[in-house]
Amino acid sequence: MNTSFLLFALLNPLFALLAAPLYMALIRKVKAYAQWRKGPRLFQVYYDLKKLMQKEAVYSPTSSWVMRFTPYLNLSTLLVCSLFVPLIFVPEPAGGLGNIIVFLYLLALERFFTALGGLDAGSAFGGMGSSRSMSLAAVIEPTMVVSFAALAFVLKSLNLHRMFALTAGTVLPISPTLVLVSISLFIILIVETGRLPVDNPATHLELTMINEAMILEQTGKNLALLELAHALKQFLLMGILINTILPVGLSTEIDAGKIAVSALLFLLKAGLLAVIIGLFESSVAKMRLFRLPAFYVMAFFFSALTILIEVFA
Amino acid sequence: MNILLETLVYGAIAALVSGTVLPLLYRSKNTRKTAFGLSLISSILLLVFAGTVLYTGKEPVFPAIGFLPGLDFTLAADRLSAGFILLIAAVVPGVSIYSVEYVEHAKSEDGKNLQAALTNLFILAMLMVVLAGNMVGFLIFWEIMSLSSLLLVLHNYSSEENKKAGFFYFVMTNISTAFLFLGFISLFRLTGSTEFGPLEYAAGELTLPFLSLFVGFGVKAGLVPFHKWLPYAHPAAPSSVSALMSGVMLKVAVYGFLRFLLSISTPELWWGVLILTAGSLSALFGVIYALKENDIKRLLAYSSIENIGIIFTGIGLYVIFGVEGLETLALLSLVGACFHSFNHALFKSLLFLCAGSVVHATGTRKIEALGGLVKSMPATSALFMIGSVSIAALPPTNGFAGELLLYQAFFQSFAVTDPLLTVFLIIALSSFALTGALAAALFVKLFGITCLAMPRSEKSRLAEEVRKPMLIGPAVPAAFCILGGLFSKQLLSLAGWKIEFPDLLLLGFLLGLIYAALFVLIRTRTKETNPSRISETWRCGIPTVAPYMEYSSAGFSEPLVMIFKSVYRTKIVHRAEYLDRQESLVKNGNVEIRLVRFFEEYLYIPPARAIEGFSKYVSKLQNGKLDSYVLYAFLAVIVLTIATGGFV
Repeated sequence: MNTSFLLFALLNPLFALLAAPLYMALIRKVKAYAQWRKGPRLFQVYYDLKKLMQKEAVYSPTSSWVMRFTPYLNLSTLLVCSLFVPLIFVPEPAGGLGNIIVFLYLLALERFFTALGGLDAGSAFGGMGSSRSMSLAAVIEPTMVVSFAALAFVLKSLNLHRMFALTAGTVLPISPTLVLVSISLFIILIVETGRLPVDNPATHLELTMINEAMILEQTGKNLALLELAHALKQFLLMGILINTILPVGLSTEIDAGKIAVSALLFLLKAGLLAVIIGLFESSVAKMRLFRLPAFYVMAFFFSALTILIEVFA
Repeated sequence: MNILLETLVYGAIAALVSGTVLPLLYRSKNTRKTAFGLSLISSILLLVFAGTVLYTGKEPVFPAIGFLPGLDFTLAADRLSAGFILLIAAVVPGVSIYSVEYVEHAKSEDGKNLQAALTNLFILAMLMVVLAGNMVGFLIFWEIMSLSSLLLVLHNYSSEENKKAGFFYFVMTNISTAFLFLGFISLFRLTGSTEFGPLEYAAGELTLPFLSLFVGFGVKAGLVPFHKWLPYAHPAAPSSVSALMSGVMLKVAVYGFLRFLLSISTPELWWGVLILTAGSLSALFGVIYALKENDIKRLLAYSSIENIGIIFTGIGLYVIFGVEGLETLALLSLVGACFHSFNHALFKSLLFLCAGSVVHATGTRKIEALGGLVKSMPATSALFMIGSVSIAALPPTNGFAGELLLYQAFFQSFAVTDPLLTVFLIIALSSFALTGALAAALFVKLFGITCLAMPRSEKSRLAEEVRKPMLIGPAVPAAFCILGGLFSKQLLSLAGWKIEFPDLLLLGFLLGLIYAALFVLIRTRTKETNPSRISETWRCGIPTVAPYMEYSSAGFSEPLVMIFKSVYRTKIVHRAEYLDRQESLVKNGNVEIRLVRFFEEYLYIPPARAIEGFSKYVSKLQNGKLDSYVLYAFLAVIVLTIATGGFV
């Protein structure tokens, strides 16, 4: 474990934890403007989390330790994940942290327990959410793996830190094929965070529920932890996409000034991406559940195309 | 050093032999306990033996035993066999401890003793197959292994279901042996020796041995399309035996196949493509069929097919990368295949043992009838959870470590220069990823429906926690699953492989640390303001909630069944009996809609019918008259004399 990674391990999760809820709110705000509403304040998500933290947790009598264990596990998993994605600077990799496959499977760990938590209360909603979420995850997984494999193909490494050490310092992506991967990464971001056209985060209607249904039985501080974990997941996936398509300004050195600039630039770039996500979400309609695999195939196609171009070029 | 190793191996063999003989001689509970104690002791001896061989790299060869003139019978161990002995030694302790209690649930006293004896014999046979230094010993013990497990499958021979399972298993295992004989004989013709290798022949000459051994070992390992015996045999056998069959016996077939492959100096590319294709298909079909399954043990059997598929995926990658000259990637895939074999042995035996406890406590194998076990059987459920997390390949358990090795190999296949091969590898990679994600969904379903929420039946509501040996038994592989995952990097380097591998110990430590920190932080900060409360949560206004309103197992897998509906094909079968010849008055009849048992109905039954027809024809020759038998013998002598050139 080297000093650069230690510093990274202290700063990066903290940065992600503090900034992540802001982008949940920003997307909501953009969607509200698109609908000629004003929408909630930018800091509303923080207030909500604070309020939830102070509320008591109510458990269904049929629920077990799984439901109490899941929120803590999810947030811990996502915090470990935040060691994998360089947001403010790229450290020297250490101990295999940053391995892209481990990152993928940490997300799977989080999903596995969320789904179990959904089944735990014994209500039909939770079960429905778990069932849908695991089914859709199964179909998106090959796409995610192939997209990450495409990243590994282009950037010739399995480690996210090494990959982004390569792209850092360039203004635009170092290879045109990365643009193709970015399309896949964008779709993955939409799917993984449960946004339209996959899932509608703004409603609690049975027809649309996937992610919301699984955590419907969670209350109080547990819900706060889950919401925070969700925000972190979105922020980290945004981070991977941004570092791939717009790496400008990402620092590779440990220098207070450079790190500050890097962090600030990242906040701006993430803001831009959040606006794009918000606009995208406002312009599409919810797809039927069984039409979704077709949407994923699009992402799969672009990643596979990337690999093919890399191989044949 | 060698004397120490010899003592360990002979000690283990002696323990297993006496464990087989004792229960046959004396019928008492203590004898059975001793028998399982002996298998436990043998596994500890083997653990030391295999560990030493793997760590020091010594390859002991034991003195040959003359068997028949010209046919020697030798024992030998190298790093490959040591790895698989380690696998046996890791699974046996849990099974032995579990069986002490479990075997007592058998109906008759004789049945209990036979189970104890046969379990020991089964373990002994598997050990000897792995230790066999040449093909003769390999085949002899292979047959003993098959027969002892067949008898265990038939333990409840009066039930129709078990009879069918036993028969199916018997036929398939004989097909496997027949192909192995063919493969070994063709190798013998080539080399003139019964040794396994090295085989330095042009690949073309090895095509026949390769294909027949691939089929032979594939049948035993349960590769698609030869997998059909598993979902019959595993549920029929006692759970401790299912754990051994699925955990160890399938791996013995993997061992045999690897033993052959590794002795070849020049494999061909198409072999690798064939193995990888078969592996990917097995993995995918195994998990897709498992998703539809509602019988807990049959579901686990299908999941074994999936995992065998993953192992063969690794072997296929090894051959492909080997031919392409990418040594590091080939090593990575080979170690991945071996490590996944080891891991699967652990978590699948754990799951089968837990399933055995669940079935014992509730008296049903139907997932739909279970539920709520996390409260009535907390310890078993916790162990079940560990098994599910491992088999779903989630970090930081051992199941993840094995798949990570294979993923690493796949992701680095940019080093392959052949574009067509790359396309093939991308397809294999996506199928591999799909398998992994489906397995996660499968085990959310299995654990979620059996253990969580409300009990779905009276049987499940009245379930009680099993007694101690049946908890300590599965706890052993459970501990190995967690430790094997956390220390995977260290274990791999101890066994002498230099592989770039993420440190899962660090990952696990970070996860635990952050979890503890969050827990303490939130508990101390918010204690006064928000105590938690247990109360009814929102039920959409329905006053009482009954178990049948919960999500069911079939409901859970419905979306995936819809997505993969082309794989599950249904068939409508109607049968009717008529009162009159004109078939106008129906006496009785039935109509059923069921899944097409594709491989059974299109692959197995047509040749079986053909063979049956042919046998009927041949059986006419046997007419019971002595003079016609003399005629047959006479004709046979003439034909043989002409064929061998005796008249010339």
